[in-house]
Amino acid sequence: MSDDHNAHHVRYGVIFIALCIFTSISVACDYIPRENKILIAFAVLAVATAKALCVMMFFMHLKFEGNWKFVLLAPTIILAMGIPLALMPDIAAHYYTVDIPQAEHAEIAHGDFNSSGSPAVEADR
Amino acid sequence: MIHPQATPSTVKMGLPIPNSKLGMWLFLGTEIMFFTAFIGTYIVLRIGSPGWPDNPEVTHIEIWAGGTNTFVLILSSYFVVIAHEAMSKKNFRKARNFLGLTLLLAFLFLGIKSFEYYGKFQHDILPSHIPESNAQAIAKVERQLERIVMAEYDALFPDEPNMDIRRQKVASAEATEPEKTLKALDDEFQNLRSHISANVSMSAELNQREEIVKLKDGTQFTGFATSPPGADPIIYQLTAGGKRSVKKADIDVPMAGKEPPPINLDEVKEHIERMHEHPLYGSLVAHLEVSHPIMYGNIFASTYFLMTGFHALHVIIGIILFGIVLLQWNKLNESWSDWIENCGLYWHFVDLVWIFLFPLIYII
Repeated sequence: MSDDHNAHHVRYGVIFIALCIFTSISVACDYIPRENKILIAFAVLAVATAKALCVMMFFMHLKFEGNWKFVLLAPTIILAMGIPLALMPDIAAHYYTVDIPQAEHAEIAHGDFNSSGSPAVEADR
Repeated sequence: MIHPQATPSTVKMGLPIPNSKLGMWLFLGTEIMFFTAFIGTYIVLRIGSPGWPDNPEVTHIEIWAGGTNTFVLILSSYFVVIAHEAMSKKNFRKARNFLGLTLLLAFLFLGIKSFEYYGKFQHDILPSHIPESNAQAIAKVERQLERIVMAEYDALFPDEPNMDIRRQKVASAEATEPEKTLKALDDEFQNLRSHISANVSMSAELNQREEIVKLKDGTQFTGFATSPPGADPIIYQLTAGGKRSVKKADIDVPMAGKEPPPINLDEVKEHIERMHEHPLYGSLVAHLEVSHPIMYGNIFASTYFLMTGFHALHVIIGIILFGIVLLQWNKLNESWSDWIENCGLYWHFVDLVWIFLFPLIYII
């Protein structure tokens, strides 16, 4: 059993309160008008990353572990990033002409490709 | 000088952690890749889908449920850490209590998640159930109404599979009250179905289109086509009276005149609402609702259930792990410290995944 946590005194209560504050900030971001999608995404993901670091560093004790943590986690993070990066050009970025029924419906209904809230599409017969 | 007794080697092999802890970290490494596959796929699909549903009234995603679950998991992670610290100080009673609280919070999380899933099932927000256009919504309600009608026929005539005979029986003079009710419902369903397949508004009669038909011989007449679409020759009910059969080849000018308006989703909704109030069959269609079309709805539902479903499965596994420890109860001793530490690591990872799922699903 590792006794490192005896040598490194962590104030878990403070970390817990910090996590609660971060969660409240996340929920507050829900009240930002939906048009500012990039701002909302950036803010909540930054908060999520901060929370994740608190949990990993203190609750999971990684701050006090040896360098083996990098050897173990670095390849997994790289491989984990692989799927979204590999799929990004074809599915997310659309560098080629898109031919999907939903896009046609969006154009017919709203005259443009971007619509949020999914209102009912009118002409599709 | 060589000592007769061998001194223990000071060279240490491997990592300064128990094998079980290393094993758990290696497993968590694979779990990172496991969940990143789903979350990454969701992100990529969402970025590539302009019009992805994000209105909570459409998706029925309640932020209070997600926020509460986030707090529940954070609190449970804190309790696990307290329990582990208590184990190291050999305060087994405190460790047991906090592990018990963690277990309760895990059940609370699953309870809130079940409530959310129940809402999704109620609104039929499930993969392959969601219409993504008005036409699909109309087709779906037609299928649902057909299922209701067929279920009633099966209930009333379990030994007679032939639909023609069934229809004769409900139309006969000796039909019972339930059979008359079913006939009324079936007639209404057939009427709706005919309008849907002909794409004619419910407010217009089928085949009643007044047309000015010009023939190649120079003559013309005004009338209503009474033949089904695509028929040749076409039978016309003349406005002036009488009938006339005309071959398509003899028609000079394409048929003109007022086309009946096409059927649309709003009038189907109104029609279904009127059916709810029908004195005879209203109770049979009480639960029939027209589904609101949601563009990208099916892939939204797929990714939602994939991510949250696998996360809930991991919570259940965590409950089992904590349950095994708590079964020891008074026999809990320091030999269980490694188990609790490793369960704690697993539980913190479950919390970590939710920390990312919450903003991605509930907020963005």
